[in-house]
Amino acid sequence: MKGACALRVRSRIAAVLAMALACGPARAHLQTSGMGPVCDGLAHFLTSPEDLVPALALALLAGLRGAAYGRSAMFTLPAAWLLGSLAGLSAAVANAGTLGASFWFLLLGGLVVADAKLSLRSMTALCAFLGLVHGYLNGSGMGLSAAAIVAALGLTAAVFVLVSLVAALVVQLRAPWARIAVRVAGSWIAASGLLMIGWSIRGV
Amino acid sequence: MVVPGLARYVVAALLILLAGLPAAQAHESRPAYLEIKETAPGQYALLFRTPVLAGRRLPLVLSLPAGVKELRAPVVQELTDSLVERRWIDAGPDGLAGQRVDIKGLQFTITDALVRIELLDGRTVQTIARPSQPWVEIAATQAWWEVMGTYATEGIRHILFGVDHLLFVLGLLLIVGNRWMLVKTVTAFTVAHSITLAIATLGVANVPALPLNAAIALSILFLGPEIVRVWRGETSFTIRHPWVVAFAFGLLHGFGFATALTSAGLPPQDLPLALLSFNVGVELGQLGFVLLVLAMERSFRVLEIRWPRWVEALPGYAVGTLGAFWTIQRVALLIAAWR
Amino acid sequence: MLLTLWVPAAFAHVQPSEAGGLLTGLQHPLSGVDHVLAMVAVGLWGAQLGAPAIWVLPVAFPLIMALGGMLGFLGLPIPGVEIGIAASAVVLGAAVAFELRPPLVVAALVVGVFAIFHGHAHGAELPPGQSAMLYSMGFVIATGCLHAVGIGIGTVHRWTWGRQLLRGAGAVVTAGGAFFMCKALA
Repeated sequence: MKGACALRVRSRIAAVLAMALACGPARAHLQTSGMGPVCDGLAHFLTSPEDLVPALALALLAGLRGAAYGRSAMFTLPAAWLLGSLAGLSAAVANAGTLGASFWFLLLGGLVVADAKLSLRSMTALCAFLGLVHGYLNGSGMGLSAAAIVAALGLTAAVFVLVSLVAALVVQLRAPWARIAVRVAGSWIAASGLLMIGWSIRGV
Repeated sequence: MVVPGLARYVVAALLILLAGLPAAQAHESRPAYLEIKETAPGQYALLFRTPVLAGRRLPLVLSLPAGVKELRAPVVQELTDSLVERRWIDAGPDGLAGQRVDIKGLQFTITDALVRIELLDGRTVQTIARPSQPWVEIAATQAWWEVMGTYATEGIRHILFGVDHLLFVLGLLLIVGNRWMLVKTVTAFTVAHSITLAIATLGVANVPALPLNAAIALSILFLGPEIVRVWRGETSFTIRHPWVVAFAFGLLHGFGFATALTSAGLPPQDLPLALLSFNVGVELGQLGFVLLVLAMERSFRVLEIRWPRWVEALPGYAVGTLGAFWTIQRVALLIAAWR
Repeated sequence: MLLTLWVPAAFAHVQPSEAGGLLTGLQHPLSGVDHVLAMVAVGLWGAQLGAPAIWVLPVAFPLIMALGGMLGFLGLPIPGVEIGIAASAVVLGAAVAFELRPPLVVAALVVGVFAIFHGHAHGAELPPGQSAMLYSMGFVIATGCLHAVGIGIGTVHRWTWGRQLLRGAGAVVTAGGAFFMCKALA
């Protein structure tokens, strides 16, 4: 029992070390962005609006609801994202296009605009669902390899950092206009989603 | 769902990470170097230096534009850490202007190539070819701000990949108590490594790589016990005056940064500007890292997260453990080299 | 702050080949002076009316605009789009010039009609080969920033001279709108 626990702790330490070491270790082998797979995962997340914006919207939403929601989002979303991408690694490449992302834009942006008073449980469920779906889509492009798993870890780290920074930033906002600025950002996200759905209908 | 065998890949991924630890040195980002010098109108002397990593040279091949004639047979010289190839070419009356020199194979590596082009009209161009853009165009004129941009970017990349430097900074962050002390400490580290970076790059003094690496590793290891003292509420000279330690070890780290510039064989005449920009880049990267760590810490506080004790101890243990690991490893290398 | 953060952030995130989509999206709302005038007027009017209009309008506008874009995508023709936009500039400018204070619903409706025209006219013009997602985001961001400019200028409303200045600005917008109206009708 004790041994198993120690093992789990050790594997977590290894995982966190992996984060801390970021780009270093992978340099020797892999190529693409020239930064190693951890940074590839990180860069992928930061350069893909279809992943970045829904995560951002969720962080805004959680931040509007307060610290407890922020805590939930900052652990649930990355964890689900990691699980989703690991599950997706072995899948055939599934290209969802942007339609799925558009609906996420619309839904999450709309919730931010409405300053929706979700329950903590539904918020967590939303995080888990978004993470699993987007993680799965991310993972399915990568192919099953050790490097892909490292990249998934990098991606997860990026999600974690983004959500905790943004959620904490919003939690701190007290001025009414600042909270409204957050809701305006939500309306931008929802509006982009609506336009994107339009493009999909048009078949661009 | 999760296929059988996934676990094996997870283990393999962790093994790669762990096996990769030794690779996480400042040295790993050693770039290739290409010099193109116009000796007479349309005639050029080329010097191409590719780093040799772990006894294997990088598979890089220069590919010149069509219609270029070799004036003499190329000369290849093998050094301990790199391979130097010299070529003399005639590119006809128009020279290489507007032409592209490809570095074939660069796109399959993670190495950059620093490129210096010296033309008869007095123009010198410094640029960097990357895996994402494995070529240089001769026509490109480079103003001073472009040189600055090139080397500032290189500085940022260098510090963000130099995990050992970041780990040292992380260790300092774990030790300093308040904001004022933090400012003093980071400034001291910055001033110190700027001094030695300049000294080493300008060739005033030099430190052999092997002992230097061991000493840098030791500086990280040194912080481990100090962090534990902070946890226990004890005090020490380092905890009272972290900036002194930051300054002293900063001198070492500066020599480490310098290896990135000097091992590339940078020609001395453009050094001041390149050096300054590289340093600015390093500071930007370092500042970004410090701000990110502080912002994350603040976020955790705002979100009222109570970490289990082992999680709080993790960064400290990471600093100490990796410091110890690198120290042993680099001292072993040093001893091996002695024999 | 979000406004200022967003634009550079969005720039940093795109592949060079796709960046075009974002840039075109950003440029589109700025390309027509009539659109710019009307959108700044929305911000001015919001600032003049004060809460809650000052935030209802910028929140509602992008959404209604996107709906207008949707109508365009669905192929529903809206007659006289250019005339409608010029008319909105005239009406919005006049509202600012005369410091009209209709009920919030009416103000929102006036702005909403313009938003539909605006979205319909510009939302549906994606150059081939560019990313629809980035285009949409750029389009919405630029529109939002124009509102922000209007609201920013509108903060002078606090002072007496500022009120006069705002009314003058409203008159300029009306004049501009009339000019474009003539062009559209001609």
